[in-house]
Amino acid sequence: MPSSSALGKRDGGDGILAALSRSQVAAHGREAATMAKKLLRSTGKAAWIAGTTFLVLVVPLIIEMDREQQLNDLELQQQTLLGGPPPPSPIK
Amino acid sequence: MGSAASAAVPPPPPPEQAQAGSLPYGPGLAGILPPKPEGEEKEEKKVDYLNLPCPVPFEEIQREALMSLKPELFEGLRFDFTKPLNQKFSLSHSVFMGSLEVPSQSTETIKVPTAHYEFGANFLDPKLMLIGRVMTDGRLNARVKCDLTENLTLKVNAQLTQEPHYSQGMFNFDYTGSDYRTQFQIGNNAFYGANYIQSVTPYLSMGAEIFWLGHQRKSGIGFASRYNTDKMVGTLQVASTGIVALSYVQKVSEKVALASDFMYNHMSKDVTASFGYDYLLRQCRLRGKIDSNGVVAAYLEERLNMGVNFLLSAEIDHCKKNYKFGFGMTVGE
Repeated sequence: MPSSSALGKRDGGDGILAALSRSQVAAHGREAATMAKKLLRSTGKAAWIAGTTFLVLVVPLIIEMDREQQLNDLELQQQTLLGGPPPPSPIK
Repeated sequence: MGSAASAAVPPPPPPEQAQAGSLPYGPGLAGILPPKPEGEEKEEKKVDYLNLPCPVPFEEIQREALMSLKPELFEGLRFDFTKPLNQKFSLSHSVFMGSLEVPSQSTETIKVPTAHYEFGANFLDPKLMLIGRVMTDGRLNARVKCDLTENLTLKVNAQLTQEPHYSQGMFNFDYTGSDYRTQFQIGNNAFYGANYIQSVTPYLSMGAEIFWLGHQRKSGIGFASRYNTDKMVGTLQVASTGIVALSYVQKVSEKVALASDFMYNHMSKDVTASFGYDYLLRQCRLRGKIDSNGVVAAYLEERLNMGVNFLLSAEIDHCKKNYKFGFGMTVGE
């Protein structure tokens, strides 16, 4: 009746949990757990590499481009402020 | 694309059409087909093969790629101060405190903390240039560049150290012709070299070099070519020492340049490819690169004030877990 082969090898004094942990289902489960741990570790490593690379390559670029944009805006603003309205004509 | 012609409403013409004169095809198709660019007429004129421009010097064939992809990364603090005493003469003081990497045979990197002060004097004249540097660890560096005649230039490069047998010196004689350059080199350790580069078309220049190292009885021959337009530079270098190097730099706009580099070393079966960007903004110059060896580097020169530059350098080697960060300041022009 039992489907798992480990249950059939029951010695005297063995509990159901010990038999379960010997079974093939549990072996697959352990494999899956190690695989998941490895996957998590490699994802973590990849995320670290991607994060630090992004920090070194891209963040200064964003900051500098933003500063350049601010400088451009300031210049444009000053241009329109100072060079905008024509001087008043002497005939009044 | 062809389905647009059958649309009930003709597509709006692209803005370039406003300046084009009468077109050979009807207004319906004009909105779809790209207008003939005006620049093509300029290239129809004949190439004058007797009046080619002078090529770039042979050692500077890869200069755009080297400038963009190989900034002077450092680890630690760097401070440079240049004081002009005269229109032609200037003094420089430089302090460096940080770690220098010692090349080691094992996979582990050995960093040695060093600190030194360097004093230098520069004399710059249109015809004569003298540069000297002295360091606290006893090294003396001297460079001379002298125009002997209008076409002949003498360059001397010397480095003297306290350790015996490590000093080196090199004499270069450069002759510049109308569309070619030749160079002859004599160095210590019985080093003799010669190279020649010639403009073949207005955009393409090709050159060759040979060298002979006396003490180690080594000789080599190399070939290089460079294709240069306004927007891009592509170079190829092959040497008998087993090195093949290709580089390509594209000027995307006047502020941005993208560079890539490929090097193959046949002797050590080493292949390296790197890609980088070079942003020349008004307030700063930012260079970043990523390598096939797993190295990511960035170098920022920011202009804080007139003549004051702030430097930041970062180099991360993911494979060897080697991290180098440096900051510095450059005062004076």
